Amino acid sequence: MTARWTYVIREAFVGLRRNLMMTVAVILSVTVSLTLLGASLLLSEQVDLATDDWTGRVEVSIYLCDDRVCPAITPEQQEQLREDLESQEVVSEVFYESKQDAYDRFTAMFADQESLIDAIDADILPASFRVRLENPNLFNVIADQFSPPYPGVEEVVDQREVLNQFLRFTNVVRTAALVVAAIQLVAAGVLIANTIRVAAFARREQTGIMRLVGASNWYIRLPFVLEGVFAGLIGALVSWGLLWGTVPRVATSLAQDIELMPFIGEAQVIAVGPWLLLAGTGIAAVASILALRRFLDI
Amino acid sequence: MIKLQNVTKTYKRGADDEVVALDDVTVEVTKGEFVFVVGPSGSGKSTFMKLLTREQLPDGGEIWVAGKNLATLRSWKVPVLRREIGYVFQDFKLLENKTVYENVAFALEVIGRPRREIEKRVPEGLDLVGLSEKSRAHPHELSGGQQQRVSVARAFVNNPRILLCDEPTGNLDPSTSVGVMKLLDRINRTGATVVMATHDQHIVDSMRRRVIELEDGHVVRDQSRGVYGYGG
Repeated sequence: MTARWTYVIREAFVGLRRNLMMTVAVILSVTVSLTLLGASLLLSEQVDLATDDWTGRVEVSIYLCDDRVCPAITPEQQEQLREDLESQEVVSEVFYESKQDAYDRFTAMFADQESLIDAIDADILPASFRVRLENPNLFNVIADQFSPPYPGVEEVVDQREVLNQFLRFTNVVRTAALVVAAIQLVAAGVLIANTIRVAAFARREQTGIMRLVGASNWYIRLPFVLEGVFAGLIGALVSWGLLWGTVPRVATSLAQDIELMPFIGEAQVIAVGPWLLLAGTGIAAVASILALRRFLDI
Repeated sequence: MIKLQNVTKTYKRGADDEVVALDDVTVEVTKGEFVFVVGPSGSGKSTFMKLLTREQLPDGGEIWVAGKNLATLRSWKVPVLRREIGYVFQDFKLLENKTVYENVAFALEVIGRPRREIEKRVPEGLDLVGLSEKSRAHPHELSGGQQQRVSVARAFVNNPRILLCDEPTGNLDPSTSVGVMKLLDRINRTGATVVMATHDQHIVDSMRRRVIELEDGHVVRDQSRGVYGYGG
């Protein structure tokens, strides 16, 4: 390490130490904003993961009449319906789910909610054909052809609707987190800029002498910029650590309760780290440079 | 070494109130000269000094310092100009949290000189101003005269071609001032050009060097081997 780098780095640390309260404030504010940013990025990952998984599994349910809404489907009609479905190009698989199958699935899904199960008769859930499509987006092809008045069909339901409701909800959460993260990040940037300005003001005597003995611009400014970048870096590392310590644990415990979808794990948390570091140091560098631009002009 | 050609500098004070600090000033200082710039407060001395280090740019005219045209000098090259100029202030401007040695070394450190060179030059500089024994002291432990000598050592440690002194004896008593002037004289004899703005009549009269007198932004006198004022 040459003398000039020793100087620049030493000065940066002198500034951080001398201004300890501000340094702590900057680190906390960067931590909060980047934790939010990281959380919203991870939420996106989670949504993508769940969507990929579900897209392959969603089906179209064709509920069959059982005399409650419409006259019960006859065995001939049911056989005809199966043949028509299987002859469709967009259909890859057709299963039949009887009333008993539907009830079994329902009781399994709500195994821990006995009152709910007690309230439902085994007879009340309709039988259905569950159709898997080559391309889930082609739902309309099936809906147009097999909706009532197709004989014996009560209703055609695209299960993606259920997924879409979930996606809409997570999208709102994710966008809200991103907006809050962005506002926090701007606040952190302003705080950093102010801190650096205070630091530069506190050392104006020193920088004044530096200017007059002919220190170059970057030599005068770099300690201050490094001071900001270092605080930003620490904040980013802390937020990474926080996410690393919490997100995999939360995901694991959720995965135990909700078996419907896969959850993100440590790998995704590790992958988000570099982005947090980049955002933290980037914001800090930009804020510091802007803060110094007018203050330390030649 | 220093040349001002028809230099004008005005300061804006409010919307249409202007103060003319320098008005059509033409001065030339050759290499190795020792020049006093005298005149009452507000005569333009400070502006004159600030223009030489390019802290400020003139509104009109040309300024040449150490072979550089300051009007066209790119801002990123200003540090290079300032390395040719040592600057001594009236209030010393030493850093209180640094020792005498560190204060002098600072001037070399921040222009990126290698450590070996710093370790050689700083003791030489302190020796030149006669403060080798005080190298570990902090500025507040020194007398005013000693502090000013430290600041001269800092200004000269980089071996600049020009030494600008802004009222260097303004905060010193007469006997201490004499010591500082002897030091500046010695530095001048090594070949450095010295320009000193001052109010100090005794010093100017005793040194018998070139005197440039400013008044209301004009050069009213430029005299080799001059005294502070006509008739005292």
